[in-house]
Amino acid sequence: MQGVTRRPLWEVRNLSKGFPGVRALNDVSVSIYPGEIHALVGENGSGKSTFAKILSGVYQPDSGEILYEGTPVRLVDPHVARRHGVAQIYQEFSLVRTLSVAENVFLGRLPGRGALSTVDWPTMRRRAVELLDAFGIRVNPDAVVGSLSVAEQQLVEIAKALSTDARLLILDEPTTALDLQEAERLHDLIRRLAARGTAIVYISHRLREFLSLADRITVFRDGELVESRPASELDLNGVVRLMLGVEVKEHFPKEHHALDEPLLEVEGLESDAGVNGATFTVHRGEVFGLGGVIGSGRTEIARALFGVDPVSAGTIRFEGRPVRFGSPHDAVVAGLGLVTENRKADGLFFNFAGIPNITVSRLQLLLNGPFLSPGRERRLGRDYLKRLRIPAAAESKSVQFLSGGNQQKCVIARWLHAGTRLLVLDEPTQGIDVGAKIEVYHLMNELTSRGVGILLISSDYPELLAMSDRVGIVREGRVVTIERADSLNDTSLIALASGAQA
Amino acid sequence: MNALRRLLAPSLLAPLAALLLASAAVSLTTSRFLDPQNLLNISLQVSIVSIMAIGSTMVILTGGIDLSPGSMVALLTMLMALFITQDQLPLALVIVLVILIGSALGAVNGALVAYGRIPSFIVTLATLSVFKGWAFLYNQGAPIFSVSPLLDPIFYGRVFGIPLPFIYVLVCFAVAYVLLNYTMAGRAIYAVGGNDSAARFSGINVRRTRMLAYTMAGATAGIASVLMAARLDSGSPNYGSGMELQAIGAAVIGGASLSGGYGNVIATLIGALTIVVVQNGLNLNAVPTSWQLITLGAIIAFAVGLDSWRVQIVGLVRHRFKRGPRPVGATVTDITAGQEPEVGKRQD
Repeated sequence: MQGVTRRPLWEVRNLSKGFPGVRALNDVSVSIYPGEIHALVGENGSGKSTFAKILSGVYQPDSGEILYEGTPVRLVDPHVARRHGVAQIYQEFSLVRTLSVAENVFLGRLPGRGALSTVDWPTMRRRAVELLDAFGIRVNPDAVVGSLSVAEQQLVEIAKALSTDARLLILDEPTTALDLQEAERLHDLIRRLAARGTAIVYISHRLREFLSLADRITVFRDGELVESRPASELDLNGVVRLMLGVEVKEHFPKEHHALDEPLLEVEGLESDAGVNGATFTVHRGEVFGLGGVIGSGRTEIARALFGVDPVSAGTIRFEGRPVRFGSPHDAVVAGLGLVTENRKADGLFFNFAGIPNITVSRLQLLLNGPFLSPGRERRLGRDYLKRLRIPAAAESKSVQFLSGGNQQKCVIARWLHAGTRLLVLDEPTQGIDVGAKIEVYHLMNELTSRGVGILLISSDYPELLAMSDRVGIVREGRVVTIERADSLNDTSLIALASGAQA
Repeated sequence: MNALRRLLAPSLLAPLAALLLASAAVSLTTSRFLDPQNLLNISLQVSIVSIMAIGSTMVILTGGIDLSPGSMVALLTMLMALFITQDQLPLALVIVLVILIGSALGAVNGALVAYGRIPSFIVTLATLSVFKGWAFLYNQGAPIFSVSPLLDPIFYGRVFGIPLPFIYVLVCFAVAYVLLNYTMAGRAIYAVGGNDSAARFSGINVRRTRMLAYTMAGATAGIASVLMAARLDSGSPNYGSGMELQAIGAAVIGGASLSGGYGNVIATLIGALTIVVVQNGLNLNAVPTSWQLITLGAIIAFAVGLDSWRVQIVGLVRHRFKRGPRPVGATVTDITAGQEPEVGKRQD
C-alpha cells in the first residue's frame, strides 16, 4: 500500500505550534498519501490532536508549511480545509438526534426546489440512499438518529463527512464508544474508503485494535514526532515504548485478591430498562467482569443494582442482607459506588475544584459537629491528590481543566473516600491515555486488596479479560455464562457475547 | 488576612465594582445621595429585598428560579394583618406563624419541582398567580391599615443605636453563609446546581436538596413579609409586587449563574445594594415610575446577559487559544465540548 512513487496528498514541513506556556508541536514533518491509513498515536498532550486540528483548519501553525498536492496552502479556517477536501470526525457527534439519518447527512445543504426553495425530500432521500450504499453503510435513511446505536450514529457521522467529497478523513478517537464488533464494522468501512483512494488520519487510544488497520504509524511524544514508519515494521510493544519513551513491563498489572466470601448476590434481577433475569455473585476482593456487546444490558444491570432504574423482580443480597435500593442515595449509604460510563455528564462537578469532587460522596467524614471542616477537607483531599498522583493544581482549579485520566482518578478517589465496599466501574478507562489507564488498574488492585468487590463493565476486551477474575457474558439483559477470565480469549469472548456459540 | 483576600476574590470584585460604579454615578447626578439620612433610607430599603434575595440565591444555585416570593409577600402581609387584627394572636406567635407559612408555601413550590418534576419557572409562575389571588380573598381585596402599634419598633427600633434591620440582615446572611459554605446541605445545593446527574450518582438526595432550597426561599420571603408589614404597619395584596425581580436581580448582579452551581450569598447582598442604589438615584432625580421599571428591567436583562455572554466569552477565548473555534457542522451539539483539553494538560 506504500506509495513511494506517488505524490503525497498532504505534506507538512517543519510545523510548530505553541500555546501559552506549552510547546504543543515542535518541528513536525509528515506526508499523507492518497489511500493511506495513517495512525497518529501518543499520550494525551503529545500533540497528535493539535496536528490533526491544524490539518482541519481549526488551529493555525506558528511556523512551517502545509502543501496540498505539492502547492503551499494556508488553512485559515475549517471552511478552507473543507474546500480542500478535509473532513474531520470528532468523538462527540454533531448529529441532531431528533432528525432522520438523511436529514442529518444533508443538514445545512438540504436540496431545494421551486421559487421558495422548499426542501426536495425525494431528492434528498435518494441521494442519501446512494451515499449510504456507495460506502456500504447499512443504516435506514429514514430512521431518527436518536433511535440508532452509538455505532450506527458513528457511521452516519462519517457518511455526513463523506457527502462533501472528502479526500482526507480525520478520525479523532472514533472507537471509544464502540465495542469490538462495532469497531470492526467501522474499520471495514475505513478500509473500503482507503481502497477508493481516500486518505485516512486516525487517532485512537485503543492501540491494539487499530494498529493492524494502519498502513503507517506516526508516534508523537511531548509535541515532537518520535517516529513515522510503515505499520509492518512496528508492533504494539514497540509503539507503546515509543509513546512513553520508556519500557513498559506489563499493560495489565493484575493482582488477585478474590476471597470466597460472597459480597453481592444477584438473583433473577429484572428491570423495565432491559434487565431480564440476571444472576451472578461478586465476592469480596474480586473483580467480576461483565462482557457483552453494547446494548446487551450491562449498564442497565448496574443501574438496577444502584437504584437508578426501578427493579421489577429478583433479589439482591449485599453482605448477606437482602437489599433493594430506591435511589442511588440508598445504594451509596449502603456501601456501593458507581463510576459512570459518561464521566462528564454523570460524574464530574465542573463548578468544583478537585477536592470537593472527591469528598462529595461522603461529606459526613468532614463534619465537626454540624459543620464541614475546611481544614480536614483540605488535608484529606491533598492526601488523595498526592496518592493518586493528581496534579496539585486540581486543588484550586475546576476539574474541567484536568486531563481525562486525572478526571477519572478524581471520580474513583470519590469512592475510595466514601469507603465503598462494592464498586461498579462502567468503562473506567474510556478515552484516557495509557499511563492513566495503568494507574486506574493499580487503583483497582488497591481496592480489591482491601476486600472491595468490583463489578467491571468494559468494551475493551483485553482489559476486561486481564483485569477480571471471572467474566459474566451478558446477552439480552441476562448473564448467559460465567467463566474464569483466564479461560477466555478475545475470540471466545466475542463468540459468547454475540451468541455465536463455539 | 483570609477575610480580606476573600473579599478581593474575583467573585466579589465584579459586584463590588458594579456597586461602586452605580454609587459614583448616582452621587454625580445628585448631592443628596450621600446625605446620611438618605444612606440610612437606602439601608432600610435594602434590608427587605436582600433577605428575600437569600432564598432566590439558594434556588438559583440549584439551577432553578423562584418567581413567587413577591406574591408570597402580598399573601403573608395580609395573613399577618388578619392574625393580629381579627384573631388577636400575640405578635411573637404571629411572626413565627408567618415565617412557617412562608416556608410551607416554599415547600409546595419545592415539592412540585422536585417530586412533580415540573420546571421551576412554570411552577413558580403558577404559584405567583395563586398566592396573589389568594391574598385578594381577604378583606374584599382591600389593604388592612393601622394593624398594631407594636409593629413599628420591629422595623424602626434600634439596639445600641444600630437600626434593627441591620441586625436582621447581618443574622440572616451569616446563617445563609454558614449554611451554604459549611454544611452538607449547602454543599449539596452547589452540587445539584453544578450537575444534578452527578449529584444523584454521588449519593446526594437531589430531591430533598431542591425541597430545602425552595423552602428556604419561602422562609426568607416570610421574614421579608414580616419586615414589610412592620415597616408600613399594614398588609396589602399589592405589596411585594415586582420584588421577585429585584431579588433575582440581586442574585444575578452578585454573579450567580442562572444555570446553577455558581454564586455566593455575600455577593447577592452587594447586588441588592446595587439595585437599591440605582432605584434611589432614579427617585432622587424624580424619574417617573415608568422609567424606573424600564431601567430595572434593562439592568437585570444586562446582568443575566453578562452571565450568558461570560460563558460564551470564556468559551470563545478557550476555543481560540486552547481548542480552536467551533468546527464546521457543529450546528446543534457542541462537538468540541466533550473533548479532552489536551494542550492544557501540560500546564497542570
